[in-house]
Amino acid sequence: MLSIILLHGLLALGILSARRFIGRYAFPVAVIGPLATIGWAIWRAPGIVDGTPRVERLEWVPGLDLSVELLVDGYALLFVALVGVVGAAIFFYSAAYFRPGPRVPLFAASMVAFAGAMLGIVTSDHLLSVFIFWELTTITSYLLVGYDDRSAKARSAALHAAMVTGAGGLAMLGGFVLLADAGNSWLISDLVANPPGGAGLAWLLVLIGAASKSAQAPLHGWLPGAMAAPTPASAFLHSATMVKAGVFLVGRLSPAATAETDWWWPVVLTIGVATMLVGGWQALRQTDLKLLLAYGTVSQLGFLFLLAGSGIPALAYGAVALVLAHGLFKSALFLAVGAIDSATGTRDIRRLEGVGRSLPWVFATTVTAAASMAAVPATFGFVAKEAAFDGLVGEGTGLVAIVALASVLTVAYTGRFLLGAFGPATDEPTGVDQIGGWKVWVPFGLAGAGLVLGLVPGLVKPLVESAAVAISGDAAGKLVVWPGLVPALGWSLGSLAVGLSLVAVPRAVDAVTAAVATVTDRGPSTEGAFRAGLTGLLGGADRLTATFQSGSLPTYLATIALAVVAAGSIPLLGELGGVELPSLGPAIEIPLALVVSISAIGLLLTRRRFAAVILLGGVGYGIAGIYAANGGPDLSLTQILVETLAIALFALVLRNLPADFDRARASIGRILTSVAVAGFVFVAGLVAVDSRTAPSVAEYYVEESLPSAAGKNVVNVILVDFRAMDTLGEITVLAVATLGVAALVLPLLRRKQS
Amino acid sequence: MTVLRESIILRRGLRVATAPLAVFSLYLLFAGHNRPGGGFAGGLVAGVAIALAWATEGEAGTRRLVAVRSTVLLGAGLAVALVTGFAGLVWGGAFLESAVWDLSLPLFGDVKLVSAIGFDIGVYLVVVGVATGLIRSLGAGSGEGPA
Repeated sequence: MLSIILLHGLLALGILSARRFIGRYAFPVAVIGPLATIGWAIWRAPGIVDGTPRVERLEWVPGLDLSVELLVDGYALLFVALVGVVGAAIFFYSAAYFRPGPRVPLFAASMVAFAGAMLGIVTSDHLLSVFIFWELTTITSYLLVGYDDRSAKARSAALHAAMVTGAGGLAMLGGFVLLADAGNSWLISDLVANPPGGAGLAWLLVLIGAASKSAQAPLHGWLPGAMAAPTPASAFLHSATMVKAGVFLVGRLSPAATAETDWWWPVVLTIGVATMLVGGWQALRQTDLKLLLAYGTVSQLGFLFLLAGSGIPALAYGAVALVLAHGLFKSALFLAVGAIDSATGTRDIRRLEGVGRSLPWVFATTVTAAASMAAVPATFGFVAKEAAFDGLVGEGTGLVAIVALASVLTVAYTGRFLLGAFGPATDEPTGVDQIGGWKVWVPFGLAGAGLVLGLVPGLVKPLVESAAVAISGDAAGKLVVWPGLVPALGWSLGSLAVGLSLVAVPRAVDAVTAAVATVTDRGPSTEGAFRAGLTGLLGGADRLTATFQSGSLPTYLATIALAVVAAGSIPLLGELGGVELPSLGPAIEIPLALVVSISAIGLLLTRRRFAAVILLGGVGYGIAGIYAANGGPDLSLTQILVETLAIALFALVLRNLPADFDRARASIGRILTSVAVAGFVFVAGLVAVDSRTAPSVAEYYVEESLPSAAGKNVVNVILVDFRAMDTLGEITVLAVATLGVAALVLPLLRRKQS
Repeated sequence: MTVLRESIILRRGLRVATAPLAVFSLYLLFAGHNRPGGGFAGGLVAGVAIALAWATEGEAGTRRLVAVRSTVLLGAGLAVALVTGFAGLVWGGAFLESAVWDLSLPLFGDVKLVSAIGFDIGVYLVVVGVATGLIRSLGAGSGEGPA
């Protein structure tokens, strides 16, 4: 599997680097990725379905537990197959959909890179690689939504999607770190097998990440906006695969999460139900076919989230079946809308007319896929939804009733979709051009697959069952063409009937949704809330910057110094009690200390700059003397040389400055700041010297200097061997600082001269 | 500074002093592994010599001592230090770990050659480069050469 993921990355890079001359071959090259995925899935499927997951491991930094760990069990295989099949179909479709242009290869490269990242999400067992692939899909989604980069709307939608899912991804990363810490393993398989206790915050953060990616209310606003992407990207990322990543993740983790927390299932239930109803309701109000499908996707994602996140085997079974069904019918519908769009030039249901007569195959495709979406018997959508209803019946009537209500909405917006696409126009109708080729046959094939599976669900039964077993340990459901007279059938046929009756009275539905909308539209829209939040964030950052970046050097220095004093004093105060004053050194230290002190005091009082430099040198030479008195000739020598050179350099700078300092007023604030800093440094020095807990490293250095580094001068050996990495860093800093001085000073001097 | 340049005695005297300073600087560099000194201290002595040369002869004086641009010294010093570090990786075991060779040379007798001296030469070159660069950029702009 790792090689397949790498292949996707190579294909993306290859298409990018050959973008000038690859022309119309971009998609035929890109499709190698999904075809290889399908081939791999077929090759590996028998073993995986039998219950032997395929494990691949690549050690990277074993000491830090960093490795690539892939684990493809039945659950992952189902998603791998979905990415491969839908991906291949969409790449063929894209080859016909796009006119060759300079940016088309960028689209193809982003799509194939996305497919690889999606495979990475579903097959990674290591939490960190899940996160990396997760964010890679966010980035590719950003590039694809913003593909039309001259449209401000597309750029804004891309940013919205990237910020919401990116922020969710960061929350998820936090959750992953806490989970790995609590469970002492980065591997999902370990964490699910032995769920760590007491990690409530971790589960919450992961849930936020999954909900943002799967467009769950109230974070769903980005998904309709993402419809600014070209239709193949919408079909692939924003309905069939990427938005299912959150569903995938909660499906994986919910058995562990429900075992360790008691709030997970109620919260997931609330989110899922809210998303189903909001999405279904909004879909009923759309006039753009693509947006209608997008809100339908939101609604379906809510349902999937609820089922997969329940941690209940019977519901997980339904979730797995529905993921497959939804992937097939929704991508078929999106691609059909793309075909209608390119034949008529519009997606507005008020202007479409006569499409069914002119494009009979597109009509057949759309009706078949829509029937699957509405769960009409003899479609795979029905088979999967029956499995889900069957599980829900066991969980109580209230739950089934709510889901049935959402199903009514689904049937109603499906009817609105079909009537809108093929019924009479209410505005000026558009003409219909003839189209053919992949644009017609790819969605036809996807819809046809849904029909075939609806009649012969046994074809995917092993796949669905092994996927359910992989996450819930049990295949607690069944895929059947006709379930017989069971309660689940009553619920699904009942919601179908009520939904159809709503379809029969479109005017009444429009009137009701419009009436409710006059109330609900007064509240903030999700898009508006996002904009307001963004503006507030940037404004807040501006104000914060204006407060702290005042442009005054004394303010900066005081802020830094006082922050250090404030933060450092807290631990220091606790240590004060037992401090022993260090004993006095050699007697010569007393006159040397006097030199240092008198120089320092003189430094404060003098108004001549040059005198200040000399007095600063006095401080340095005095300290060099103290080094020498304590047996540190090396330090002393270096200190003297540094002081000498520094005085020379100061002298050079002083040539360009007035001879005297400005007459500074000694304000109370400055004096207090100085006293606080000085006192803090003094006390911190005393405490630091007195609070050694580990044996000094000095003895080791002295002992090892000659044997291991062949040097008698320990100071030098420390510099060039024991701590040579530090020295390397220091000389790099010196070199950069020198360049910085030149860059700052030379232009100034040049300006002065001219 | 102009005082230094106007006094011919100081100028000539300091010019004579640069040679012993250079020797002392190199002595500190090579003795440093076993006695006080090292690349840092040696480089600083050279820096003092360059400062004196600037004070007596201006920009031209620094060029008499250091013929190249300071950036050449900085780059060469970092490169030498890095290359020695990798030598440690090849012969010593870890990046920047000293390798020690025992050599018997004619005239010198038995000599211990430590790869760390290469690293110290890198440090020395960087410090000389820093001193040269700072003196040249801060000293630029007025009073080129002896007044």
